[in-house]
Amino acid sequence: MKKMKFWLLALLAFILGAILISCSAVQKGTDILAGAGKISEKDRAAIQKTSQALRSSFADITEEEEYYIGRAVAAMILSRYPVYNNDLINGYINTVGNAVVIYSDRPEIYAGYHFLVLDSDEVNALAAPGGFIFITRGILKRCKDEEMLASVLAHEVGHVCAKHGLQSIKKSRLVDAFRIIGQEAAKKYAPERLAELTGIFENVLGDIAEKLIERGYDRKYEYEADELSLMFAAKTGYNPNGLAIFLQTMISASSGESGKGWFKTHPSAEERIENVKGEIAALKKVPQTEVVRTERFRSTIKDLK
Amino acid sequence: MIEEEKKEEVSMKKPFRLSFLICAVLILFVVMLAETVIVKIQSMNLRKEPKFYSPTVAVLRAGENLERLNAQEGWIQVRTSGGLVGWVHSSAVETKKFNLLAIDKGLKTQASASEVALASKGFNKQVEESYRAKHGEVSYVWVEKMLQMKVSAAEIEQFLKKGKLGEFGGAR
Repeated sequence: MKKMKFWLLALLAFILGAILISCSAVQKGTDILAGAGKISEKDRAAIQKTSQALRSSFADITEEEEYYIGRAVAAMILSRYPVYNNDLINGYINTVGNAVVIYSDRPEIYAGYHFLVLDSDEVNALAAPGGFIFITRGILKRCKDEEMLASVLAHEVGHVCAKHGLQSIKKSRLVDAFRIIGQEAAKKYAPERLAELTGIFENVLGDIAEKLIERGYDRKYEYEADELSLMFAAKTGYNPNGLAIFLQTMISASSGESGKGWFKTHPSAEERIENVKGEIAALKKVPQTEVVRTERFRSTIKDLK
Repeated sequence: MIEEEKKEEVSMKKPFRLSFLICAVLILFVVMLAETVIVKIQSMNLRKEPKFYSPTVAVLRAGENLERLNAQEGWIQVRTSGGLVGWVHSSAVETKKFNLLAIDKGLKTQASASEVALASKGFNKQVEESYRAKHGEVSYVWVEKMLQMKVSAAEIEQFLKKGKLGEFGGAR
């Protein structure tokens, strides 16, 4: 009996000791991270080593970094397209978009999802990282009901959820960026480091813009975004056939506008419809279109030019 | 007779003490295993129920530590340092777990990998300012306006209700 008691006491002492040690270690770590105190050369080297080893791919980009990349990509898009400045329509797009967002895989992101209509006849929709989503007046005009609009927005939300924008950043940029970030322990970057990091930031934006605006994402990403669109729309309660019907209208339209916007950057509508139909057949629940939704869609966008 | 009773008392005391000790050890283990989650987005609502348009209990900021109590379908029930209990969506938080068996190397490694450790590092406000100073032609005016376009939880709920969407959908 005494022996057992001894061992139990020893175990208790060990646990208490471990807690104390862990607390001090955590404190040390957070001090360093808060940039509060000076850190030793050894600590700096250790942080650099681990951050380089641990941050190596797009998946290691933090929510906050994604937000700053997204802001810049959004600003680039907005330097190419004028905004359709209509509070009623933009408000409606944001409501439909955010309704789909809460049924998506990644409903909470750094600064939330925001949607905006671009004043262009071009049929296009673009999603910058960090949840900045754009649809043109041209694509909105092709949508005949809320189901179709929700499908288009859900496709873009899918790109953000799956981080397709971040995946188009060349790996070498991230390796360089993570190296510099790892070297800087202070909260503010020294001028030369900042210049270096800004250069990498420009290249990162270039990589994303090239895919997003110029050439389009890889085909597999577009199919993935279509599949996510069906899933999110159906979960929200929208008829997922909205996407198939929308794509159908693109077939008849594409003859005149091929080579621009969505026609240039996406796989053909025929191929996408085939993929989408197979996916819809596999869905457990297929919600039906509701007249109330079509009515509110029509009354909201009736003044769209 | 009296002596016998005393003997019994003594023998009863021992197992009682022992079980008390075991309980104490177990409680300590549980405390150590208690998971902490950390808010990784700019700001978010701590919600009364596990759904987006549920009433807000408190507004939480990036880096805030929360004690994980429970989980269900993508939602985590947490307790704030101020003792408030509510629900957060799992996509808004990062789980932080300390591995005591790897104290010497593990903690630093785990800390560096964490979103929170890297908060305001990397591509941050300072990098954006430097980029904008170089590219005067790029305007952020509409980016800021976009960020101001917000849909409240109550508006979403009304929208879903009127449109027979989400849990208000009849034809599902």
